[in-house]
Order: sequence, then C-alpha cells, then structure tokens
Amino acid sequence: MIQLTNISKSFGRHQVLKQIDLTVQKGEVVVILGPSGSGKTTLLRCVNYLEKPGEGEIAIGDFRLNCKHAGKKDIHQLRQKSAMVFQQYNLFKHKTALENVMEGLVVVKKLPKEEAKARSVALLEKVGLGSKLDAYPSQLSGGQQQRVGIARALAMEPEVILFDEPTSALDPELVGEVLAVIRNIAKEGITMIVVTHEMGFARDVASRVVFMDDGVIVEEGTPAELFQNPREERTRQFLKRITPEYNYSI
Amino acid sequence: MKIDPAFIWTALVQLLSAIPTTLVITAVSVTAGFIIGLITALLRIYRVPVLGPIAAGYVTFIRGTPMLTHLLLIYFGLPMVLDALAAQFGWGFKSSSIPMIGFAFISFSITAGAYMSEVIRSGLLAVNRGQLEAAYSVGMTTSQALRRIVFPQALAVSVPNLSNSIIGMLHGSTLAFTVSVVEINAKAQIVASTNWKFFEAYLAAAVIFWGLTLLIERISAAIEKRIQVYNRGGVA
Repeated sequence: MIQLTNISKSFGRHQVLKQIDLTVQKGEVVVILGPSGSGKTTLLRCVNYLEKPGEGEIAIGDFRLNCKHAGKKDIHQLRQKSAMVFQQYNLFKHKTALENVMEGLVVVKKLPKEEAKARSVALLEKVGLGSKLDAYPSQLSGGQQQRVGIARALAMEPEVILFDEPTSALDPELVGEVLAVIRNIAKEGITMIVVTHEMGFARDVASRVVFMDDGVIVEEGTPAELFQNPREERTRQFLKRITPEYNYSI
Repeated sequence: MKIDPAFIWTALVQLLSAIPTTLVITAVSVTAGFIIGLITALLRIYRVPVLGPIAAGYVTFIRGTPMLTHLLLIYFGLPMVLDALAAQFGWGFKSSSIPMIGFAFISFSITAGAYMSEVIRSGLLAVNRGQLEAAYSVGMTTSQALRRIVFPQALAVSVPNLSNSIIGMLHGSTLAFTVSVVEINAKAQIVASTNWKFFEAYLAAAVIFWGLTLLIERISAAIEKRIQVYNRGGVA
C-alpha cells in the first residue's frame, strides 16, 4: 500500500502541490489525469523522490518517510520501493537493452550476473523484445525503448511502478504496443500509478481515476463514475476539452 | 649555410634516448591532471561550499597564466615553503633532494588539472539529467550512478577534447628544460651544440613530436570508435 499524506511542494513561490493525500491499495492501477501544470507529474516524481516534497509523508509498504527529516539513507531506501517509467524513456544509452535491465539487478540488488541475465532476458521476452537483447537504445524505436524501460522497472520488483506519461513522446502508431504491455502487467496485479492523457487506457485499465488541477486532487473515483458522472465542474470542463464532441463541420 | 640531411638522421637516433623522459612527464601530468580535473569539475558542478569557489579560482588563475610561469613559480616557491615547514617541524628534509623532474611533474600536473577540469566539466554537463534520474529510479546511490552511468558517458563525449589536452601536455613538456630536465627538445639543443647544426636537430625533434602526436591521435580515434558504438548522434 502506498500512502501519501499532506504532500506539498513549491518551485520558488509557485506552489505546485497543495497538501495532497492519496492512498493506493496493493494491486490497484491508479490513473492521474489533469491539465498540464496541474502537478500530476510532480506528484508522481515525489513518490520516487526525484522531486523533493517540501513537506508531507510518504509511506510505501511498511516503510515510512517524513519529507522534512529525510536523510540520504531514507531516500535511498524509499527509491528502492518504487520504479519509474519515464516519458523520455531515459534508458542508459551506453548500455544494451539487456544491460539496461540487468543494471539495477547487479548493482542495487547484488544478484549474481548469470541470474540477473536470466531474469532480464525473461522480462525482455515478456515485453516482446527477445530479439533485441543486444541493441543499444539508439538502435530501437521509441516504442521499443519504452518497453525496455518497462522491463527495467519490472526487474526491480518494486512495490509500485510509476508511469510518467509513458506514451506522450511516441508516434501515434507506436502508442498501442506500449499500452498493450502496460495492460498486460496491470492484469498481473502489479500496483501502478500512471500519469497519462490516454483516456481509453484510463477507462479500460484503471481501477481508480484521480483528477488533479492546480495542485490539488479535485475528485477521484472509478473510471465509470468519473468519466460518465463527474461531480465537479472543473472535471467536467477538462473532460469536455480532451474528449471533444465531433460536431464540427469541414 | 647548407642543410646536412645526414645529420638529421644522426640527431634523430640520438634523440630517441630522450623519448622516455618526455613520455613520463606527459603521462604523469596527464594522469594527475585528470584526477585533479575530475575533482575540480565535480566541486564546481555540485557547487560545494568553500571548495567550489576555490576550484573555480584555481581554474581561472592557472588558465590565466602561462605554463612556463607555473613551472618557475613551483621551482622557486616550493623549496622555500618546504624548507620553512621542515625547519618549523624539525623534519630531516631538504628541498635540494627533490629531483628536477619532480618540479616538472608537480607544476605540469597543476597546469593540466585546470585545463582538463573544463574538458571533464563540459563532458559531465553534456550527460542528460534523465540518465541520473533513471539511475536513481532503479535505486542506485549517487556514487553508483556517477560511476556506472554518468562518468562513462561523460568520458565518451570528452575523448576528442581529452586527446587535445594530452597533445598539449606532450608539447608543453618541452618547457621542462628550463629546470634542466633533458627531454626531446633539450636533447636536440645539446646534440646540435657540438656542431651548430641546430636546424637539423630541431627538425629531427619535430619529426619525433609529430610521430608521438600521430600515435595519440590514432589511439584516441580507436577509443572513440569503440566507445561510441552506442551513440549515433552528431551530424554525420
């Protein structure tokens, strides 16, 4: 279980997150929606401590961290509980697909090389890249790179995988293959928090949708509730903007 | 006056004995300079209090003064400091026991460190921040992330500039003659002083320096090729 309590974060004078509370149960797929600048990516990055919250508490599993008194060791420990899939993939560009997945297993989890390799190969096969083990990121398409990124996150067996707009940098025709992989792992009961603009994905895969605007959580609910029957005006406006009615004439 | 081609060859053969001295001076100053440069670059990038500004001051002072001046300052200044310290603490140490080449090692390392720190700093800055974040996200510590992810990529970007620094230090090593270390150029002067055929001797020295430089360029190109297999960037 992931529990964020009272998370606040400011960049200079601009307060990006305003005392956010969010709880994610084990096995849940939570999709965070919201207009750009609403703080959804920042919130996600706080869970992995790539962004340091000004205050608040982050709890993953039985590990609890108060952001005001977080030392290096605490942060290091917290990071091991989650893994991130980045918008820009961020694969280690001097390492092959296989080495990218192995890296954390060998360096952080201290697995013997052979075991790390076997597990990494299995994961890459699972995301459909069994034939690309020795390819460098520069030799892979965006969709393939992102699937390596997902395999790299899965390898760490984290309590939660964080997806930061995983398909936003992809060509439209490559979005499908990445979403298919995420769908598959969602079915396995892996806890996920996903920031995305893919409404179809949110509708089908999310167990819960959270709508953020201006640094606060405006409302949350099941996809059915939130998409068909939003309670808040701001949610309605947002949904209207991104799912336009096709009533325009040419 | 006529050129004596035969003496070019004679001089060349005699100069060979000075190559090791030149190479040792270059190797020591480049190696020590790389370590100093790496530390200096990190201090500046991470804006370490006190040490960061000191590092910045070191770079601007050293780059702002000639390499020959560094050598002379070390040659005349270091013994004074060491002897004063020795007298103060009663060490049984005399600065006259420092070999001449030692001054060249120390001063050239300081010179190389300042120039190489800028090469390394630009290499580190060229690595995308996302690489570090990805390393953190799989649970690496900062030092693991730097060693395994950032440094290899920074070094790869820096290879052409580092080879430039190495060549600069190779040629700069000729200044060591000022403190009577006999490297290639000095040897040429000595060889020629018996018969005044300076042009031939220096021509021979030039050929050797060019040869050594070609070697460095070849090695650098080979490393670049190996290191850059993953990187299809650039304009080519």
